[in-house]
Amino acid sequence: MSVSVAARIARRELRGGIRGFRVFLLCLALGVAAIAAVGSVRVSIQDGLNREGAVILGGDGMMQFTYRYADADEKVWMVANSEAYSEIVDFRSMAVVDRAEGPPDRGLTQIKAVDNRYPLKGRVLLEPDIPLSRALDGTNGLPGAVMQQVLIDRLGLSVGDTFRLGTQDFVLSAALTREPDRAGGGFGLGPRTIVRTKDLANSSLLGSGTLFETEYRLSLPEDTDLAALETEAETLFRDKGMRWRDSRNGAPGIARFVDRMGAFLVLVGLAGLAVGGVGVSAAVRAYLDAKTPVIATLKTLGAEGRTIFAAYMLQIGVLTTLGVAAGLLLGAIIPLALAPLIESRLPIPAAFGVHAAPLAEAALYGVLTAVVFTLWPLARTEQVRAAELFRDTTSRKLRLPSTRYLVALGIALVALVGSAIGLSGIPQLASGSVGGIVGALVILMLAAWGIRVLSRRIASARFVRGRSALRLALGAIGGPGNEATSVVLSLGLGLSVLAAVGQIDSNLRTSIAEELPKDAPSYFFVDIQNDQIDSFLERTQNDPGVSRVESAPMLRGIITRINGRPAREVAGDHWVLRGDRGVTYSAAPPLNTTITEGAWWPEDHSGPNQISFADEEARELGLTLGDELTVNILGRDIVGTVTSFRVVDFSTAGIGFILSMNPGALAGAPHTHIATVYADEDAEAALLRDVAGAAPNITAIRVRDAIDRVTEALSGLAAATSYGALATLVTGFVVLIGAAAAGERGRVFEAAVLKTLGATRGRILTSFALRSALLGAAAGGVAIFAGGLAGWAVMTFVMEASYRFEPVSAIAIVFGGALATLLAGLGFALRPLALRPAGVLRARE
Amino acid sequence: MTDAPVLSLRDVALRLDGNAGPVDILHEITLDIARGDTVGLVGPSGSGKSSLLMLMGGLERATGGSVMALGHDLTKLDEDALARFRRNHMGVVFQSFHLIPTMTALENVATPLELAGADDAFDRAEAELEAVGLGARTDHYPAQMSGGEQQRVALARAAAPRPEILLADEPTGNLDGATGEAIMDLLFGLRDRHGATLVLVTHAPELAARCDRVVRLRDGRIEAPEQASQEAAE
Repeated sequence: MSVSVAARIARRELRGGIRGFRVFLLCLALGVAAIAAVGSVRVSIQDGLNREGAVILGGDGMMQFTYRYADADEKVWMVANSEAYSEIVDFRSMAVVDRAEGPPDRGLTQIKAVDNRYPLKGRVLLEPDIPLSRALDGTNGLPGAVMQQVLIDRLGLSVGDTFRLGTQDFVLSAALTREPDRAGGGFGLGPRTIVRTKDLANSSLLGSGTLFETEYRLSLPEDTDLAALETEAETLFRDKGMRWRDSRNGAPGIARFVDRMGAFLVLVGLAGLAVGGVGVSAAVRAYLDAKTPVIATLKTLGAEGRTIFAAYMLQIGVLTTLGVAAGLLLGAIIPLALAPLIESRLPIPAAFGVHAAPLAEAALYGVLTAVVFTLWPLARTEQVRAAELFRDTTSRKLRLPSTRYLVALGIALVALVGSAIGLSGIPQLASGSVGGIVGALVILMLAAWGIRVLSRRIASARFVRGRSALRLALGAIGGPGNEATSVVLSLGLGLSVLAAVGQIDSNLRTSIAEELPKDAPSYFFVDIQNDQIDSFLERTQNDPGVSRVESAPMLRGIITRINGRPAREVAGDHWVLRGDRGVTYSAAPPLNTTITEGAWWPEDHSGPNQISFADEEARELGLTLGDELTVNILGRDIVGTVTSFRVVDFSTAGIGFILSMNPGALAGAPHTHIATVYADEDAEAALLRDVAGAAPNITAIRVRDAIDRVTEALSGLAAATSYGALATLVTGFVVLIGAAAAGERGRVFEAAVLKTLGATRGRILTSFALRSALLGAAAGGVAIFAGGLAGWAVMTFVMEASYRFEPVSAIAIVFGGALATLLAGLGFALRPLALRPAGVLRARE
Repeated sequence: MTDAPVLSLRDVALRLDGNAGPVDILHEITLDIARGDTVGLVGPSGSGKSSLLMLMGGLERATGGSVMALGHDLTKLDEDALARFRRNHMGVVFQSFHLIPTMTALENVATPLELAGADDAFDRAEAELEAVGLGARTDHYPAQMSGGEQQRVALARAAAPRPEILLADEPTGNLDGATGEAIMDLLFGLRDRHGATLVLVTHAPELAARCDRVVRLRDGRIEAPEQASQEAAE
């Protein structure tokens, strides 16, 4: 075989233009563009996070403590190792605005109390544009504060008005428009207010046991070895509850989220590419079918199968390069064009630009997809026989391509799946998704085959006789040709992805919006001081509108050691060990507690400390009864033995503590109480007023608002996923149009013959419409099954929640599928109907 | 060995799978064609003429018997080996020309020479087109040429590699009388020039009359010579 001869044949063949390859190019370009765009945005954000790590963190390094300030040793270390440090106190409270008439307005706010050095990095932007220090200086003897606009609006404040935090009045100096270190913080339940720490001295907030966090941001010399400094800080202070972060990963939460979300969207993009692959395969098949006489002629002239394969592979290779290049161009340009829009919606700076790595990844997927989906039809060129020139051999038996092509196909498939799993960074989800895509393709292929067989059977059944439009439609679906398979595969896969997203989204919403509130309390009250708990319980329990009140002492601690060894060494990076956790104490088990193993301590227990641990988490950590845990609370190590496991259900939004101890272990430590109140909506306002009036330091968190915040975050996720699924569907629609266009020639002939036999245009159109609608509905039906299956798998295994079939989105998908196919089909039915039969039939002679 | 037939068919049968079940196309065909012979295959439509030609060219595989061409049993060769055999020894002309639409006349003619590895493929192709009177149309695509011109390109393409065997399937079937005659003159001229063996399927008696020998087919069988001559007399 001569490659140069094959190349020359390929070059000459390509002179015919790429008209027949519009669908091929579009499918490949769309899929590659989607993946490249998602990857580019992901890398842009990651680069932004890396570049601005110190600004996002608020310093080059940071030491965090839970409800305590750094002690003298820790401060000495900070002074010795940094050029400067700034102290931040972060906690929740209620902002209160008194009204001349009526009850005061209250709003939950996340307070950041700062010193004069804040911010060490970056700039706080205010409206009006004044320096933060001037804003916090205040006026008329009152300290100043700045607040996010959303809270200003909620409380009906204007700049210059006063409001209260605890028992301290503040004057609102400006609206907070940009907080440089906003992304570095965690998930806040309320909008931000910034004040000076010293101005809170008379607020009665930050009392002993109050839930607050302190952060010490360090400005470090340029040549600091961050890793070495981290090791030193952790060795010295970790056991006292210190947590270290530095500019190498300024916003780990966001970085992780962007990484996961990006990877997930790339997987959705891969589904799009798979749909595109169906189109690519159909386009190559159609092209090669049309080239059968040329191939047969070349064989007659003495071309070997390998020469012909090489000639057409080179053509497809050139087209693949074009398609992938177009996709990369689009994928690089789209994020740049949308950069201002994306940036305005991100809490972090992103470094938009052309990034090579995501483009290379998208190109790899594009090329491998093209190979996987074109190798089979290409290999079949070897089976074209010279005899095709003499007789139509469309009825020839389907033979498998030769072994070398099957092996090559297998290698390409493994490479594609392997890179998807390897490059995603979320191998389990990637394996599941790739498995899902392959599974859906197999189900769809079987379905397409089944639909064709069934249509053929029904078309010859007695009951369709006389219903010529239906019979013709069924005959066409079941007859020779690949249109039915193409439509079911492409549309079906696109709709399956959309159906899966729809099922997961509605299930998540249902579980949040419907199931949770049934058991959830109306309010959480936190920071109830020891001397306030009795009056609080008296007020709430005697309210006829309150059905239930639960309260518990609340401390926060870090599990540092298990049986004397560092906890992470023993149990790995489990979420329970990652930061501080709520810890409580109780003489008797709370009502309705289920002990799964061991026994609760006697009510008058005064011996060594005992611990009751959450059953599920204990198993995940590998704990057994008798294990000794060291918990660091307020810098003090408290050691206890695990004597029981109990069921803790976090899904009810009630009080649930991973770790509970006997009162003797903790009662001496400064602490506050947490309470949940289950109240009628009518009773809520008065209850809140009374509690806040009596104890301004207590913070009330409305559960409904918190759920709304979570739902909002989930809506954003669902929207991003839906856009990804939509890209898949658009590709599916392109494939659909391609399939309809490819079938047009056949329909022209069919319409001409039917007209000759006396069929009206209306009847022919009805038959064409029925054919499209039946195929679309079939694709939709399969999509519901495949999407439902995927939805069930994700809800059951990933979300660990219950799954319920959601019929509304499912019906919309079947309807949408039928409509899309109908539109595409009818779009290509008009020309066949308009042509005169004589011309068509003569041309066919 | 020089007297050995160029084409030798023994008890050849061809059965094809149709949509309505298997169909017997040819039965017990035994036929020898000597080097340099000009043989006309004639018979009514559906008698199996084109199928017999396909078997001779290795374009179709016999389901029974043997087809020897230049000492090679075509029934034993795989598709690639058949392609190589044609490249080196055969030229085929079709009723529907089967030019490659994306190639110019020159490229169409040069293709078999390129496939055979000829360095001077294009020079020879140009000379061949000159010989069929299309020296001025070398850069034209098939769609830009008349039926007669396309068939001349096809003739040039078939003759360019100097094949020992020329097979032609109703080469004038799609052409008007005058053009058809001109094509036949060319075909016989090429045969005479290169000394190839020519097997020709035709419906035209005057064309068959130009052949050294006529083989008649009916219902997939070769008619006995006496029966054939009786029919011819009738």
